[in-house]
Amino acid sequence: MWAYIAKRLLLAIPVVLGVAFVVFAMVRVIPGDPAQIMAGEAATEEFVEAIRKDMGLDRPLLTQFASFVGNALRGDFGRSVRSKAPVTIELRARIPNTISLTIAGLVVAVAVGVSAGVISAIRPYSLIDAAVMLVALAGLSMPVFWSGLMLILVFAVWLGWLPAVGTDTPVHLILPAVTLGMATAAIIARMTRSSMLEVLRSDYIRTARAKGLAEQSVINRHAFRNALIPVITVVGLQMGTLLSGAVLTESVFAWPGIGRLLVEGILTRDYPLVQASVLVVALAFVLVNLFVDLLYAVVDPRIHYE
Amino acid sequence: MRRLLALVASLVLLGGVGFTASAGPAAPAPTRGGVMIIGHGTDAVILDSATATDAPTFTILEHLAETLFELTAEGKVRPRLALSQTVSPDGKTWTFRLRTGVRFHDGTPFDAEAAKFNLERVLDPATRSPWRFLISRIQSVSVVDASTIRLVTDAPFAPLLAHLTHGGMGMQSPTAIRRLGADYARQPVGTGVFKFKEWVRGDRVSVTRNDDYWGDKAFLDEVQFRVIPDDGARLAALEAGSIHVAVRVPPREIERLKNASGLGVEVSTSLRTIFVAFNVTRPPFTDRRLRQALNYAVNKRAIVASALAGTARVSDAPIAPNVEGYSPVPGYDWDLERAAALLREAGYSRERPLRAVFHHPSGRYIRDAEIAASIQGLARRVGIELELRTLEFGAYIALTNRPQAQNDIQMYMLGWGTVTGDADYGLYALFHSSQWPPVGFNRGFYKNDRVDALLDRGRVTIDQGERDKIYAQAMKIITDDAAWIFLHSESQVTGVRSAAQGVIIHPAERVMFTRAWLRR
Repeated sequence: MWAYIAKRLLLAIPVVLGVAFVVFAMVRVIPGDPAQIMAGEAATEEFVEAIRKDMGLDRPLLTQFASFVGNALRGDFGRSVRSKAPVTIELRARIPNTISLTIAGLVVAVAVGVSAGVISAIRPYSLIDAAVMLVALAGLSMPVFWSGLMLILVFAVWLGWLPAVGTDTPVHLILPAVTLGMATAAIIARMTRSSMLEVLRSDYIRTARAKGLAEQSVINRHAFRNALIPVITVVGLQMGTLLSGAVLTESVFAWPGIGRLLVEGILTRDYPLVQASVLVVALAFVLVNLFVDLLYAVVDPRIHYE
Repeated sequence: MRRLLALVASLVLLGGVGFTASAGPAAPAPTRGGVMIIGHGTDAVILDSATATDAPTFTILEHLAETLFELTAEGKVRPRLALSQTVSPDGKTWTFRLRTGVRFHDGTPFDAEAAKFNLERVLDPATRSPWRFLISRIQSVSVVDASTIRLVTDAPFAPLLAHLTHGGMGMQSPTAIRRLGADYARQPVGTGVFKFKEWVRGDRVSVTRNDDYWGDKAFLDEVQFRVIPDDGARLAALEAGSIHVAVRVPPREIERLKNASGLGVEVSTSLRTIFVAFNVTRPPFTDRRLRQALNYAVNKRAIVASALAGTARVSDAPIAPNVEGYSPVPGYDWDLERAAALLREAGYSRERPLRAVFHHPSGRYIRDAEIAASIQGLARRVGIELELRTLEFGAYIALTNRPQAQNDIQMYMLGWGTVTGDADYGLYALFHSSQWPPVGFNRGFYKNDRVDALLDRGRVTIDQGERDKIYAQAMKIITDDAAWIFLHSESQVTGVRSAAQGVIIHPAERVMFTRAWLRR
């Protein structure tokens, strides 16, 4: 098991390096001169040139990439071109917010999605089943920036139960987490439902029932765990959606996370910031994927890693 | 419907003016204490006066750092950290007497040395201050005594005092700057009414009352500048009471907010003019008749009434009215027949329509994309076919900023905020032929020798009355030449809760809390 983990972590290195190179190249290909944007609307040419030199953009591309990687390995991601603050400071302020939002979104998605899916599966083709799937479809179809605003309108403005924007207290996390988790909850619900239905049809379930086990026990101990495996896959895949959906949720709820930082960085061509943020996200993906794979081994005793 | 809109618009404007101009006869006395919260659309970028560029950052900085002279909300230049100024007969030597007994928030005394340090810092190319060009005519700054400094310019420079009111010239503590270096920009130290408390990146900047302030102390204990990028969420936060002030309220929400209890909307002028500039060096707009035809074809009043819900002022000059040097210039009323006549004269008709590509930004200025679409529709009525093209703003600036040989833009929309409150900044940078990109911002490549001469004279003439006349002449020529489609000057639409009193909305797009207080 440990050898497997070590191997996966080693494999992560070329992946992250590849991502670093791709984002490095892409951000320089986008039209728009970062020095010009940094210098502002009201800047003379010599000023723009000076800024370009500061950013190191006058050096050959490979030199820029080499120095980027070299510095990154030492933990130095440079300074944000726009704010002049070290990129690590910008990231450090934002990463915890994105982590808390993504985890909260995931918790909402899994709790709501799995419960909904199981309820649907237990009473397939009934009114409850149809209702749950309809709500799931609605949650999936609603764009985040709309559903978020609707939730703010209802719960913050009209009812006054929850705060509208900000990060001050744990309560502030509720609306953004629900907004973010809704679409993923819908997908998890459908996946859980179909997976459960399939498992409930299998032979060993028939055997368990034939043995006289209570239905509750059949579902909890036998069906559920087996149904979980495809669901875990979906959850792992949805991490991408959650992380990127976080960008829109962060904008609507004024949640200061990496998503918004990344978008603003792209709009201002803040190369160091964009490169570092994408690297962080890529690393997060790699680690989440590893974690999901390990989770299989925990849930399914048939799975072994060498 | 249009009349109703016009009536509502005038009521709103009157109400806004009344609100900002006077406290009213039965105004309650200000109470001390409390935390006021304002929602901005973007976070502060860099908290250093010399290198900041955007309005939200400057709004925060101007609570913390003060300039030698201030631009009042009425557009007048008044001494602030300076007490008085004299200028030599040849117009090249300025002597400023400075206020005494003033200290920075870290205890460093504000004196002539500190003033010299700050001005030289902006002038130093190594600082990379984007505002260096505002005071680049200064050749030397010298200390006469502890409270007197002397500036020498290479030629008489009339806009100097106005330029010294710009936020980029904020006086900051030399001790803090020397000690912190590049990290100063995260914890600014000035002489202002408020002191810096904290900056939670992406979330808010908090400032607290400076109890050692040299003038009238603030009423509020603390002001928080929060970041709420989404317009809808910002409004919702205002309505829910999480914030007291929300900037950039979409014009269509004004009616609804005014009717909501506990809320009010202030519509105030800004110094920002919105226009469409023509590239006058490339066909078809080398022909003045076509430029004039478009000016006659565009119904600016209708655009303001519909797209902006009446919250803007149709331009009657290339600069906004509260800019020093402004005077109304006879312009182009909506006149479809004259537009059609000019087109025919130039050889165009419905069978052979004038075609052009119209570049515009999206989301940069209030309802910019809608305004561009309105112009397209209005132009079509006289048979002008405009193709709209938009870009994300970073790319847009890069595209419009190319030198003349590579710049194939035909017409483009832009806004210009004359933040010094002085006509030189609003005219010289945009119309003088020495300011063609990449050197300056005359991206329409306008060139008129008489205008050049007038603008040059306006810079070196110290007497304001004389300057007003010079600029009036220059603006008349620019308008006759139809260098732009002169659209409107934007209004700032700000949502304010009734508990928030004494909030000042400055035309330079700064919401100031120096005299604000919370009504319980």
